[in-house]
Amino acid sequence: MTREVLRYEGRRRLKGSVYLGVGLGLFALLFAPFYPAVKESGEQLQEYVENLPPAIRAAFGLDAFTTIEGFLATEFYAFAWVLLLGVYLAYRAGGAVAGDVESGRIDMVLSAPVSRAGVVLGTVGSLLVPIAVCNLLVPPAVYATVLLAGETIAVPRLLAVHALSVPYFLACVGIGTVLSVAVGRASVAERGAIAAVFGLFLVDTLTTTDPDLEPVGAVSPTRHYDPTAVLVRAEYDLVGAGVLLAGTVALVAVAVVVFRRRDLT
Amino acid sequence: MSALAVDGLTKYYGDVRGVEDLSFSVREGEVFGFLGPNGAGKTTTIRTLMGFLRPTSGTATVLGRDVRDEAELIEAKRDVGFLPAEPAFDESVTGRRILDYHARLKGDDRRSELLASFEPPLDRPVGEYSRGNEQKLAIVAAFMHDPDLLVMDEPTSGLDPLLQDRFHGFVRGEREAGKTAFFSSHVLSEVRKVCDRVGILRDGRLVTLESIGEILSRSGKRVRVQVAEDVGPAAFEMPGAHGVSGGEVISFTFTGEYGTLLDRLREYTVLDLDVEEAPLEEVFARFYGNGGDPTGRDGADEGNPDTQGRGGTDPEGDRP
Repeated sequence: MTREVLRYEGRRRLKGSVYLGVGLGLFALLFAPFYPAVKESGEQLQEYVENLPPAIRAAFGLDAFTTIEGFLATEFYAFAWVLLLGVYLAYRAGGAVAGDVESGRIDMVLSAPVSRAGVVLGTVGSLLVPIAVCNLLVPPAVYATVLLAGETIAVPRLLAVHALSVPYFLACVGIGTVLSVAVGRASVAERGAIAAVFGLFLVDTLTTTDPDLEPVGAVSPTRHYDPTAVLVRAEYDLVGAGVLLAGTVALVAVAVVVFRRRDLT
Repeated sequence: MSALAVDGLTKYYGDVRGVEDLSFSVREGEVFGFLGPNGAGKTTTIRTLMGFLRPTSGTATVLGRDVRDEAELIEAKRDVGFLPAEPAFDESVTGRRILDYHARLKGDDRRSELLASFEPPLDRPVGEYSRGNEQKLAIVAAFMHDPDLLVMDEPTSGLDPLLQDRFHGFVRGEREAGKTAFFSSHVLSEVRKVCDRVGILRDGRLVTLESIGEILSRSGKRVRVQVAEDVGPAAFEMPGAHGVSGGEVISFTFTGEYGTLLDRLREYTVLDLDVEEAPLEEVFARFYGNGGDPTGRDGADEGNPDTQGRGGTDPEGDRP
């Protein structure tokens, strides 16, 4: 039954996901004309970047900014990919179950022999559609950006930065889902999910430069997925990916328990 | 076995009472009307039966399965069709895809048969549907797996009179096919048309459980009349007339024999006459009084001695 919910909800998300993936791809392409000027400034710009406060550098994933890898990591991945898409997926997850409950749409579904757990799992699973579609459409666009900028990029790094984003996005979906089943109003769950993911990102960046507070930032999904490290230094944080997957499982489990106990009014 | 059995069911929302100590059962093969004014607790009861709400205390079974146990209730739901009070669907999706989805969830033995009676525009997105079309889609989606038990929350509220009739025909047909139907309504005439038995809910409690015949004899008509002659309300004081009032247009509730009413009307030149179902709230106020004890019949009889012993009156003659 989860499969049927997944199939229906996933198909419903397909069109929007393609728009989203195309939009992100076009956004990546926008940076192609800018890179040659960045490369030109070379040393000077690099010096400027290195003199920025560490928290700012952490927030924007600034490292080796004048290389194509470092440039893309900062200009595209740190912002559009990690923050924007992460927040967007949490927002959609936040509105998913809550919206169906608030509108009464869930009544018709749950009147069929479907468990509440099945509805939660199917809905979470359907958000794999935008994650998959974006990860299919964006890498070719980024590769084209690199070529247009007259550069080359190590394809394994490009593939890794996308593969490792999947656990990160799932964690964002997990956060949104917990809010979605716990909060009565969809708009509140949606805004709560945005605030949660963005807030955790801030916690991560603000604690990353302080040795005492640094472990606190580990609660944020952004701590465990670093596109700059992947692209610039070819560091693949598999432990981080594991943490994100485990966190997702825990969040979805909590969501199922909460949703099973709830009154649907 | 009862198709539905409710036993001491109580549901509070925090401190607010939804329903209190509700007990009744619906036999297999009957059409049971669950009647009550808005806010009486009908939807709370139905949503508890469907497992959407957890009882505060007491329990209920649907097709013999405990509603408090999700796995058991899911088994029951294979043979239950549910039509919510305000069915809602994803607006961007076409009716056809909604039905395909429900077909995969529970089966669609009767899809085409139901679509012949209730025909929503299947290839348009639900967002473009009128309220009536959405209700038609919901009826098909709810019952296309040919359930043994039909649970409906105010099923005709979004339908025009023609479709209401068609829906009542559908319910009668289901009954003839041996199905059980349980539906809520706040319209007495609807319950009269299709129900075998009626439970009346008021302020979260079951007021009385009686045969349709008894209810019929006690409901009454709302009469509004305008006559050419210059007469006051007193002209229409007669056995069975209650709360006669007005000036030019005289209105009252009438629970007596139609002959009496017609004889009286013939004495005047009637300019305008309107006879309609008495609103349920008014029926309650008359029988049980406002703030009176709603649980017993004593209050009812005191409040309305005229209806004593008039059981069996069936002015429309169309009850099943």
